[in-house]
Amino acid sequence: MKLKEIERTAHQAWSPAAHHPIYLAAGTSAQQLDATFSTNAALEIFELDLSDPGFDMKLQGSIKTANRYHKLLWSSHGLGSGGPGTLIGGGDGGLIVLYDAARILAGDVEAELGQSVRHTGPVRALDINPFQNNLLASGANDSEIYIWDLNNFATPMTPGAQSQPLEDVGCVAWNCQVQHILASATPSGKAVVWDLRKNEPIIKVSDHTNRMRCSGIAWHPDVATQMVLASEDDRMPVIQMWDLRFATSPLRVFENHSRGILTIAWSRADPELLLSCAKDNRILCWNPNTGEVLYELPTSTQWCFDIQWCPRNPALISAASFDGLLSIYSVMGGSLSAQSQRQVDMISSSFGNFDPFGTGQPLPPLQLTQPHVPAATVLPLKKPPRWIRRPVGASFAVSYCLHGTQTFKMCGSLPGGLVQSHYVYVSQVVTEPHLLSRSAELQAAGHTGHLREFCHAKVQASIDPLEKDIWSFLQVNLEPDPRSKFLKLIGYNPDELAQKRPWLHVVVTISAIELSISSYSFADVDGLIGQALLVGDFEAAVELCLGDGRYADAIILAVAGGADLLERTQERYFDKSSGIGGTFCIIKVSELQDEQALSLSFLVDALGSRLEMEDGGRLCAQACLCYICAGNVDKLASCWDGTHQCSDSLALQVGMYPAVGIFGTNLTCRLVICLKIRLSFNNVATGNCTHLRNGDTREQPYWIGLHLLHSCQTSKNNIFSHRILAYFFSISFSFSSSTPPPMMFILLQPAQVQPPEKIEKRPIPEEHASLRIAFDGLVQRCLIAASDPQTKRKLDDANKRLEFLYDKLREHSVSALSLVSRDFKTRNVNVGIYFKNIISCLRAKMPSHLELL
Amino acid sequence: MVSVVNTVDTSHEDMIHDAQMDYYGTRLATCSSDRSVKIFDIKNGSQILAADLRGHEGPVWQVAWAHPMFGNVLASCSYDRKVIIWKEEGGTWDRLYEYDGHDSSVNSVSWASHEFGLLLACGSSDGSISVLSCLGDGTWEPHKISNAHTIGCNAVSWAPAVIPGTLMDAPSGPKSTPVKRFVSGGCDNLIKIWREEDGQWAEEKKMEAHSDWVRDVAWAPSIGLPSGTIASCSQDGRVFIWTCDDPAGGSWTPKLLHKFGDVVWHVSWSITGNILAVSGGDNKVSLWKESTDGQWKCVSDVNKGQGISSGPDETRPEQ
Repeated sequence: MKLKEIERTAHQAWSPAAHHPIYLAAGTSAQQLDATFSTNAALEIFELDLSDPGFDMKLQGSIKTANRYHKLLWSSHGLGSGGPGTLIGGGDGGLIVLYDAARILAGDVEAELGQSVRHTGPVRALDINPFQNNLLASGANDSEIYIWDLNNFATPMTPGAQSQPLEDVGCVAWNCQVQHILASATPSGKAVVWDLRKNEPIIKVSDHTNRMRCSGIAWHPDVATQMVLASEDDRMPVIQMWDLRFATSPLRVFENHSRGILTIAWSRADPELLLSCAKDNRILCWNPNTGEVLYELPTSTQWCFDIQWCPRNPALISAASFDGLLSIYSVMGGSLSAQSQRQVDMISSSFGNFDPFGTGQPLPPLQLTQPHVPAATVLPLKKPPRWIRRPVGASFAVSYCLHGTQTFKMCGSLPGGLVQSHYVYVSQVVTEPHLLSRSAELQAAGHTGHLREFCHAKVQASIDPLEKDIWSFLQVNLEPDPRSKFLKLIGYNPDELAQKRPWLHVVVTISAIELSISSYSFADVDGLIGQALLVGDFEAAVELCLGDGRYADAIILAVAGGADLLERTQERYFDKSSGIGGTFCIIKVSELQDEQALSLSFLVDALGSRLEMEDGGRLCAQACLCYICAGNVDKLASCWDGTHQCSDSLALQVGMYPAVGIFGTNLTCRLVICLKIRLSFNNVATGNCTHLRNGDTREQPYWIGLHLLHSCQTSKNNIFSHRILAYFFSISFSFSSSTPPPMMFILLQPAQVQPPEKIEKRPIPEEHASLRIAFDGLVQRCLIAASDPQTKRKLDDANKRLEFLYDKLREHSVSALSLVSRDFKTRNVNVGIYFKNIISCLRAKMPSHLELL
Repeated sequence: MVSVVNTVDTSHEDMIHDAQMDYYGTRLATCSSDRSVKIFDIKNGSQILAADLRGHEGPVWQVAWAHPMFGNVLASCSYDRKVIIWKEEGGTWDRLYEYDGHDSSVNSVSWASHEFGLLLACGSSDGSISVLSCLGDGTWEPHKISNAHTIGCNAVSWAPAVIPGTLMDAPSGPKSTPVKRFVSGGCDNLIKIWREEDGQWAEEKKMEAHSDWVRDVAWAPSIGLPSGTIASCSQDGRVFIWTCDDPAGGSWTPKLLHKFGDVVWHVSWSITGNILAVSGGDNKVSLWKESTDGQWKCVSDVNKGQGISSGPDETRPEQ
């Protein structure tokens, strides 16, 4: 398939393989004239831009030259120093000229590096040694062959005595495997192989028919002893393959061209691809190992005189034809239909005002016969080229890493020397065995109910004091009487406290009275409240709260202090504030009646918050301990996250996992953890933390998912279970999939036994029931009134939102013990805001039905 | 760290080009230059040849399993310019659909996430990409993207159906539909992201970093993190990790994972998207993982076919 086109009658040379981007140099051909009869000569460099779909190539540099060329080469000599290399041209009169490609690209007219006219006649044969890019072989008339050193261009050496009789040297080629072997061929059909170390010809290859007129010679890229010769003679348009181990007659003869072959080119990327172009206008691609024609290039109706493989992009070839076109083709096939039309358009427009002879009159309108398109589709090579034969690699599968086999290359000298291995290996990858064993250990402890022993063992094993503390506190949580043990751990002796109590009570009361009377700003009211609560003196604590204006706290504390205290506090509260907001608190209090364990949690929680705030986070570790005491996993997680952000990828897991496992009976806790994990994922994005991404192939989401799923099942909360599943199995597993994978199946089994859809939802708590009736009625009315599908969809959405809200309300009705009152209040406020949002949302969406609202 | 758990003798008569496990990790599909596709049951450490699928007339480059909710469906692509979709019904495998709309070798096939139904992208050496979608009545509709990559597309990989960032969104937010997107890499050294808009496929992004053919691209699976990740590897030996933090998918930044001394043929993400397996022309597979500071580290080097693990290769030749 043709990709690019340049209107030049020129010899071409691709930039070396190591150079990026790909350039193509074009030097005006000698002994050819176009319709302008211009005798100018130029050396131009074009850039190949495959991202541009057009046929044009961008001219990157150009110089006018005095000579035209019989041969052009682009050596990587000088490429190492960053430049694009050296261009070498062979011209008439024995001229060899060197140019610095970098200078041409820079627009420097003085690009010539050196030249020599030592040869006789036109220099048609040039080749660069593939091993030493400074070694240039050249050939011209009178059997002249010179070897040049580009670093010292002045004096060439000869490979040996000139062969007799004196003939033109039509082509030279360096061996691709042995660097001191050179072959040359003459139009009379003789090929000579030279050994530069011995400085003499070592073998002469000649066909007994004497009809060969060598136009091209090429060594096998892989097999050192094989080469091909192409014949220009119309009576014998063949390519002969010779093996020097058996140099009496050609190994193979490839016959398909009907007229003489002008050039051949052997692909370096795939030794089974050999191009030839001949005077029968065809360009063929052969498999030189079998002689089979693999491909015929759809070409113009003109001879090609030069053809080259692109060294960097193995699928590309360039061909220069006598009709003045330099074309770039892909051998991979493709569709021509789009391009042929473009070509027609381009030709028509370019001929519009064409006046080549300067006669002042435009040529008569060109009757462009629709160019003959052989077929819209160009088939690719019959045999896949080596460069697309990709070896099997490793692909991941579910909990497995798959390693494929690979073809092993044998010594590189056998033709197509590939030995296949037909094994595929399945391997397992475990990246964090340590974590894996830890989590298994904890899970086992959780299953057998030996969490306390587990904690104890951890306490024993801990070296870091903080870690020890954490495990001790966790352990205490599991003890029968955690409160007194906590106090003990903190360093208080309950007995001593009891003795101090009356005294403390006095202090506290006095302070409280002071506070309420003089509104004296006591610096540490929190501390006093804390002390009061610590000794279990709720009355004093309430007093302090009231004194400080913390009515809500006072009422909540009073709840814990008993009905009597509550009543008194309420009375005092109503005395102090005639506000409306207070009613809210009172209503809440009724809900909190059952939360007897509140005081300790509140106290320790508050202490934790203070610790966290103070000293710029230095006391965060201690704060964590407080949260463990309070059972406040939410805060624990955020605090832990804060302290350990960058230090250790396992930190969150270390901290959180025990917490999940131990406080895990509570759904809310787990959901909080879930949220925390989501937050830490957020950190992943900013590069701070990769807690969970750094897991093993049995990824954490699975076990977290397992835990969460478990909680969801026990709580029969299908909304959450769905969402959590969606989070943790969204990778490739889906709850809805008909047949989950075995591992997932085990996890999901209980859920399937009890499909969440069938679980009856709890009734909405009474205090919210009226809301539901109101909203449902509202949506119903809207639905009846809504006519267009868009509104209906929106109402659907609103319905879903409401359903979610109801679920929240239901959840609150079984309000979690560990939720401290403050959070609780905030949440209720949020619900209020949510109501407002929904109403405004409905209003915005359906102004026409506003009256219904 | 890496241990061989199963060695499968495929009895392929020529080079094996691809091997893919199914969704459950119990079946293995392989394809080869011997024009065949083979399916093995590898339960319990043993291997049983379950099917030998013949139908391609050239080397088969890639196979891809569809999600099991569609049954046992396998797609294969070949140098014979065809894509064949196979389906197992009652224990026997038959051709479900054969697509011959490409003019040259079909190099890569990839199924979209199951949320989008049976949707297959195919990249071809003719430079075009086809997206085949199964309509409800069992017929297939091809959409062809012409001139996607000049002189050939080497790899296609779908974006996960999870919308970036959904893990962080409020759970009650309105559900937006995930956009159909895939990434492709080709012989024009480019990586392109394609996106469906109103049933038409349009080039959303063109990304250039490689200096030679892009051999493979792989869009990382997502669990809803706000960033998208794509790995690409090239003939030039470089592997890039592209990340996009922009939910709209507008800006992608490349990060060089490593420059290998040889062509890199294949990149593959682990199911959770945190480990990248890189298969090079030097018969080696290396596993890479992002460390906490955002650097990519080689966690394992495995010679293909060997279970020997070793530490990070510090002496890897730099070029």
